[in-house]
Amino acid sequence: MENEQLLEVQDLKTYFYTERGVVRAVDGVTFDVKRGRTLGVVGESGCGKSITSFSVLRLLQKPGKIVSGQILYHKREDDGNEEVLDLTSLNPNSYTMRSVRGGEISMIFQEPMTSLDPVYTVGNQIVEGITYHLKVSQAEAREMAIAMLGRVNMPEPQRVVDSYPHQLSGGMRQRAMIAMALACRPSLLIADEPTTALDVTTEAQILELLRDLQKEFGMAIMYITHNLGVVAEMVEEAIVMYMGKVVERAPVRDLFYDPKHPYMIALLQSIPKLGRKNQARLQAISGMVPSPFAIPAGCPFHPRCPKFMPGVCEMSEPPVVDLNSDRYVRCFLYQ
Amino acid sequence: MTDNHQQPILEVKDLKKHYPIIKGFNRKLVGYTKAVDGVSFAVPTAHTLGLVGESGCGKSTTGHCIMRGIEPTAGQVIFHDRERGPIDVAQADPNMLRHVRLNMQMVFQDPSSSMNPRMTVFDIVSEPLTVNNVARGKDLQDRVAELLRVVGLLPEHMHRFPHAFSGGQRQRIAVARSLALRPQFIIADEPVSALDVSIQAQTLNLLQDLQEQFDLSYLFISHDLSVVEHVSDVVAVMYVGKLAEMAETEELYHNPKHPYTEALLSSVPNPDPGVVKNRIVLAGEVPSPRKPPTGCYFHPRCNYAVSDCAENAPPLREISPGHTVACHLADKLTLRGVTAVRI
Repeated sequence: MENEQLLEVQDLKTYFYTERGVVRAVDGVTFDVKRGRTLGVVGESGCGKSITSFSVLRLLQKPGKIVSGQILYHKREDDGNEEVLDLTSLNPNSYTMRSVRGGEISMIFQEPMTSLDPVYTVGNQIVEGITYHLKVSQAEAREMAIAMLGRVNMPEPQRVVDSYPHQLSGGMRQRAMIAMALACRPSLLIADEPTTALDVTTEAQILELLRDLQKEFGMAIMYITHNLGVVAEMVEEAIVMYMGKVVERAPVRDLFYDPKHPYMIALLQSIPKLGRKNQARLQAISGMVPSPFAIPAGCPFHPRCPKFMPGVCEMSEPPVVDLNSDRYVRCFLYQ
Repeated sequence: MTDNHQQPILEVKDLKKHYPIIKGFNRKLVGYTKAVDGVSFAVPTAHTLGLVGESGCGKSTTGHCIMRGIEPTAGQVIFHDRERGPIDVAQADPNMLRHVRLNMQMVFQDPSSSMNPRMTVFDIVSEPLTVNNVARGKDLQDRVAELLRVVGLLPEHMHRFPHAFSGGQRQRIAVARSLALRPQFIIADEPVSALDVSIQAQTLNLLQDLQEQFDLSYLFISHDLSVVEHVSDVVAVMYVGKLAEMAETEELYHNPKHPYTEALLSSVPNPDPGVVKNRIVLAGEVPSPRKPPTGCYFHPRCNYAVSDCAENAPPLREISPGHTVACHLADKLTLRGVTAVRI
């Protein structure tokens, strides 16, 4: 039961065909999410972590396109039978895809103000999803929406259900988003930087809520973030992305106590850590994230890498090195 | 405080900014939004004071009031100029203000929105110099080139537009602009919040190097407690327009005396998966400064509140040398500071 696969992404490539050239936003990403577990996706802006989740939900806008790869979703029916869907082969507008989206996999976003519709009440927006996926009447759906709002610790759910998004604070909007996402009891929740726009005390509330809800509903969470503190607290396993590639995958303790990829090592050293005041300088990563139109040859991290090996790193792409069954790194150092 | 902190460069005394709330057709005054309500602190020369708080607590308004970008309602802002001695910025006439602003500059959060996209980097960085008649012609060119070099950019890029630079580079341009007049004091309002982690470290290091090089003093406004701990010598915590607590960084982080500080510190996600989390999750949300609660503004969310807290607002008082706190129970409570990260 514990290690059942829920989502398997294999060698996913999502490219954007723009006038200036092809942007390889996601370039051969492989990972899996197990039922009821939490996977973290770590990386800086532009590394392709959000595009990966949009690809899974088939929400890519033009000129983005899934070029190759498979996204296998293990859909479990009520009678316990399992059906494996390859989401890449489905039409994004097909009935099956639409029933997966929101019913099986749902998503919460960073900025709840831009992802909630300002002209509909919170209740309307939650009810819309419920009536689409479940066979219930409007009145029942409304009751479910109120119950769900109560479950996410929204103050006065009876009143809030008829409120518009602008009447809520940032933290309350994020609670409304979570209520909407979980109303149909999805098996997988994709959380894309859900607390980045929130204050620390509100962030703490939302993280606590997500943990409680996961315990209660048993859904798997794919947690996308650049905040290493949040990763350390929320996830069991994580993949680290850089320029559209997964550079390391490891259980979270290994990732923080014994990081392997030079990028992950450098990231950990570059953040100021609470409770360790010293006047010493931070160890910054030199240079900057390269332009997506000019990804360096070989290992994309080589121009910034402190362990750069001339004649090796810039010549060819580093292979994926399996360190043990649940851990791999994409670097020549470990060959 | 330690010896090297004695001489402040800036003293803020009982600073207030109250916005009138006007309602109805007759534009009747029904109350005030007390965005900043009696804030006092001193920034030590060549050191950094960190001002932390959640959004809406008035930390940016405080910064703008010091620059007189926003006119303060009451209070004193005393700037100790190297040449002219103390100047009350809040009362300064336009001439004096001009002089003060040569020595006091600001860096903002989002570098792309604080720069005119139609101006080249040269125009942006040279503007303070030309406006104040400091340099022109070849001299101006040289000074801009030098400024760009100081912040780690290539002088040959000075004729490019801001869009040609990455976020981190744009923040460097903003820093170069703020340094153009060789100020003594810089207000940095969330200077790294919009930047990626790897770029954040570069910018923080740059600010630190410049401080050493030019003896700069900073007022560092941020919501990020780990960044503030890293850069600040003294930290002030704000809550709904008032200071909750102020102390030297180590003292404040390891020995907090205000329950709000304790909760803030425990809320920060720790990049250490092995740490046992006994986080204090505060109930409710930050109250609006339009309708703050009675007594201590923090009492509805405070786990330690007693009946007195709802009635009387606690004054800011010194509890040990250099450590001030606004809490009735500060002597009685034993609060938890941060646990050091092991990685």
